[in-house]
Amino acid sequence: MRAAPWRSVGLRARITSVFALGAFAVSAALAGSTYELTRQSLIDERERSSVRAAYFDAALIRQGLGGQDPDLANLLRSLDTGEARRPLVRRDGQWFARTADDGVTDAVPGALRRMVEEGTPAVQRVDLNAEPALVVGVPLPDGSTFYEITELRELRRTLTVLATVLALVALVTTISGASVGWWVSRHVLRPLADVARAAGSIASGDLSARVDRDRDPDLDTLAVAFNQMVDEVSARSEADRRFAADVSHELRSPLQTLSAATSVLDRRREQLDDRSAAAVDLLSAEVARFESLVTDLLELAKADRPADRRPTDVVALTRAVATSRRLPPEVVDSDRETAVLHVDPRRYEQLLVNLLDNAANHGGGAVRIGLAVTGDVLRLEVDDEGPGVPPEERELVFDRFARGRAASARGGSEGTGLGLALISQHVQAHRGTVEVLDRPGGGARFAVTLPGCPA
Amino acid sequence: MPRLLIVEDDDRIRLSLRLALEDEGYVVRDVATAEAGLAEHRSDPADLVLVDLMLPGMDGFDCIRAIRRLGDVPIVVVSARDDTHDVVAALEAGADDYVVKPVAVKELSARLRALRRRASGTGEGSPSAQVFGEIELRPDAGEVLLAGEPVHLTRTEFRLLCELADQSGRVLSRQQLLNRVWGYDVYGDERLVDVHVGRLRRKVERDPANPVHVLTVRGLGYKLAP
Repeated sequence: MRAAPWRSVGLRARITSVFALGAFAVSAALAGSTYELTRQSLIDERERSSVRAAYFDAALIRQGLGGQDPDLANLLRSLDTGEARRPLVRRDGQWFARTADDGVTDAVPGALRRMVEEGTPAVQRVDLNAEPALVVGVPLPDGSTFYEITELRELRRTLTVLATVLALVALVTTISGASVGWWVSRHVLRPLADVARAAGSIASGDLSARVDRDRDPDLDTLAVAFNQMVDEVSARSEADRRFAADVSHELRSPLQTLSAATSVLDRRREQLDDRSAAAVDLLSAEVARFESLVTDLLELAKADRPADRRPTDVVALTRAVATSRRLPPEVVDSDRETAVLHVDPRRYEQLLVNLLDNAANHGGGAVRIGLAVTGDVLRLEVDDEGPGVPPEERELVFDRFARGRAASARGGSEGTGLGLALISQHVQAHRGTVEVLDRPGGGARFAVTLPGCPA
Repeated sequence: MPRLLIVEDDDRIRLSLRLALEDEGYVVRDVATAEAGLAEHRSDPADLVLVDLMLPGMDGFDCIRAIRRLGDVPIVVVSARDDTHDVVAALEAGADDYVVKPVAVKELSARLRALRRRASGTGEGSPSAQVFGEIELRPDAGEVLLAGEPVHLTRTEFRLLCELADQSGRVLSRQQLLNRVWGYDVYGDERLVDVHVGRLRRKVERDPANPVHVLTVRGLGYKLAP
């Protein structure tokens, strides 16, 4: 099941965005309605004053028209209209204006003109030279009509400023909302971050890590519960450790006696009759196996501890191990003579020895030990020319006491059945990987990748 | 024939080790307690001592310290415990080597042989005396002088110093030192080297916390500087 994309966003980012969205919604709604109400009332106010002014001007014109042969242009010019209002008169199908500005007469819509000519005063909002304007039409008693065009440029500017201010306020509110969300989420999530940090330390082996108590009672329960859990885990782990130590001592002591006593018998093998010699051979072989079984078991019990990384020349160590296993030097296939990496040398030696044992027990012996260092990552390959490992068993071989089918077919009783499990543990302690592959040309290839670690 | 003293409270282990090590050519005496071991060693010093750590009465650590006060006989711990804590404590008390049970007799014998090896037989043609600042090393006489005064080193500390001196300032890795001084052919416990270097510094450095002669080369190992 795939998680929805939203779920992959962090809780903190989600809280922050919810706060930001909320602040945005509220501030946008407030700003929008404020703008709309203000605009409406400003426009209404403006419309009323324009209509009042137009009626006043129309009354002046009407008085002027009462005289003989009135000069309409002069009459219009005598009106005190300021810059924003432009009066027009239409008489006998002809326009009269203060100046010869034709564009102004085109701005009067035909429908409005017809209404006014039929004797009904009218108001309409129009565009004049791409600026909003208001046309007021008033019929005059002698059949001519009076129009006044009021430019609304000032009003538009006022509204633009208002919109800008409101948008800025909304933006600031949104940002404040996001900041509050960020701060609140940090406060709420801090105990979680503390717990995560403590859990990380515990996972890497520091069982003394605890979470500080919180002053907030709601959050404190988390800290208390977590610390209780860690107390119990560390008590149990301490008990396990003691048990392992006791078992270890109880197993190691008799084994020491067995091992030493067997070596005394072994030394006198030549003086024994055939049956006794065969029995001594069995005894020493099984004591040796028992010894490595116990050693491996005890090692496995403590293998989940963190790796004790130190600067180690893995090439030198690999060659030393190969020599001690009586492998010819050319088996080690390394592209460099020395490579100092931060690995746990004891674990590295054990995993290499176990890989070589595995190759010897199941694959007729290692034919190549490949070492390649890329950056600070080590790749170790141990090849054998045995039957290989069938794909369906490649995961299983790393289980405890799992032995390959090929091995049991050969009646193989070598090995403890723990060697590969131990390798897997050592690799995990280094956060590395181990896998079984086919060796080109037949056989198995065990490939280990160990990421190094900065000093 | 080297004379070996075994201090081990488990009767069966003691007897089996005695039989097996006699086969390896040692003259073995064995005792069950630290007190008996001390008395035995005092009246008739052994050439090598094997000590278990968990003993009734006086424990192995105190036993090692007491024997160390009597002389520089090589002491090997044979213990079922393999905690870092125990290993370091035993080495700090004065043990020369540490093996974990069960140890194969051949392996144990190899460890004992390495500790018995003559100090610094390695330096063919090396000068009879070497001087590193205030330290004067006389391998043939088995002596070390600090500012003209003789310093008492154990056999292992002396061999460690000689191996470092033979390199004339070059670095030896811990594994190389384990190989040369303790005779490990594969991976050995590096704590062995670190603890012994610490012990050596306490004897030949004016300020062991800020050594000027026995230097740690980070990531590589140790070297001896003039």
